[in-house]
Amino acid sequence: MVSQQPIIQPGYVAKCARCNHVFCKATTSKPNKVFALALAALLVCIPAFSFPLVSVHLLGITEQTNLLQGAIMMIDIAPVVSFVVLFCAVVAPTLLTVCILFSSGCMMFKKRPSLLNYALKLTSILIHWSMLEVYLVSFMVAVFKLTSYTELYFNSGLYFLVGFLILNMSMISEYDNAQHWKYLLNE
Amino acid sequence: MNKPLITGMSALQQDRQLCRVCEKHSSISENEECCPYCGSPISPRIENSQQKTWALLFTAFIFIFPANLYPITYLLKNGTRYPDTIFSGIVSLLSSGMSGIAFIVFIASIVVPILKIVVLAFISLAVHFKWQFNPKKQLIAFTLVDWIGRWSVLDLFVISIMVAVFDKGNFLSVYPGIAATSFTVVVITTLFAAQSFDTRLIWDANTDAR
Repeated sequence: MVSQQPIIQPGYVAKCARCNHVFCKATTSKPNKVFALALAALLVCIPAFSFPLVSVHLLGITEQTNLLQGAIMMIDIAPVVSFVVLFCAVVAPTLLTVCILFSSGCMMFKKRPSLLNYALKLTSILIHWSMLEVYLVSFMVAVFKLTSYTELYFNSGLYFLVGFLILNMSMISEYDNAQHWKYLLNE
Repeated sequence: MNKPLITGMSALQQDRQLCRVCEKHSSISENEECCPYCGSPISPRIENSQQKTWALLFTAFIFIFPANLYPITYLLKNGTRYPDTIFSGIVSLLSSGMSGIAFIVFIASIVVPILKIVVLAFISLAVHFKWQFNPKKQLIAFTLVDWIGRWSVLDLFVISIMVAVFDKGNFLSVYPGIAATSFTVVVITTLFAAQSFDTRLIWDANTDAR
């Protein structure tokens, strides 16, 4: 349904009277803030994925486990499961951060490269597939399950993962798709 | 030159379409294939939305049976294999006194995929047969299943963590069963089904709705 675009105060949004979809918001988002969040998230994601999340004491041996390990171990037995886990927990959040870093960087430095169009399109797809929050809840479920079998110790990777999740969610809530398209189309 | 649009009327009736990527609107007759702003494929409604949704829902419906009947994980302990289905996993969590976790896994792994298939099928049928149900209520139901749908991935993440932790060969290991792949297919197809469904069709089917 066609709605009239109202003049709204900063911080307010206009919603469709029919479906409640936000079709216009007085943006307060600053590209340098989004850029800083994306850059910090990208730096944090490296230890979040490579450092061990948890140490498990099992059969007299203490072993460390990171986020990538389980998914990579399943590649031969269940490649579809492995692909979905890797994509939703690692590839999509990282690529989304890279795309937002690139597009906010372009806005900040007043550049309009042809790649920006693709970055914005990729962002609108990846935003649905980044499932870090689901991974963290899954991790808590797994920890509860594991405590009945074994002794568990949390490692530094978990703190980086929580940090990555917080930065990623702040970055997504600050990111304004319409503002970036307006910038690209020079409006 | 573009005619001024009349608010409260459908954009489709006024020769306008919205790009789902850049959120800009353009003329339907002048831009039949691509958005003039971002170059993405464009159409007044998602092309073959109903057919895509039905195809994906049927796939999910077929795969939900092996996902629930076959073992989702195997526990290999001292050379003996112990299969675990989604339901037996929930029962063992309950018997270990972890009712909260059992509830989360039950909701994410059993309730959400079934609810999603049922709700999407109902809305698609309502659109197809032009049943005059309240469109706002249909949209609320769609938004709810769309949002909770992503939480079904939880079980797959838990499997990946368990596989990584229990990796002691024949002494103690966990590895995914055939139901893990079937469950993944259910989760992914229902996610795609929700994405391919165009919610504006709900209002197109409800002739009297505003």
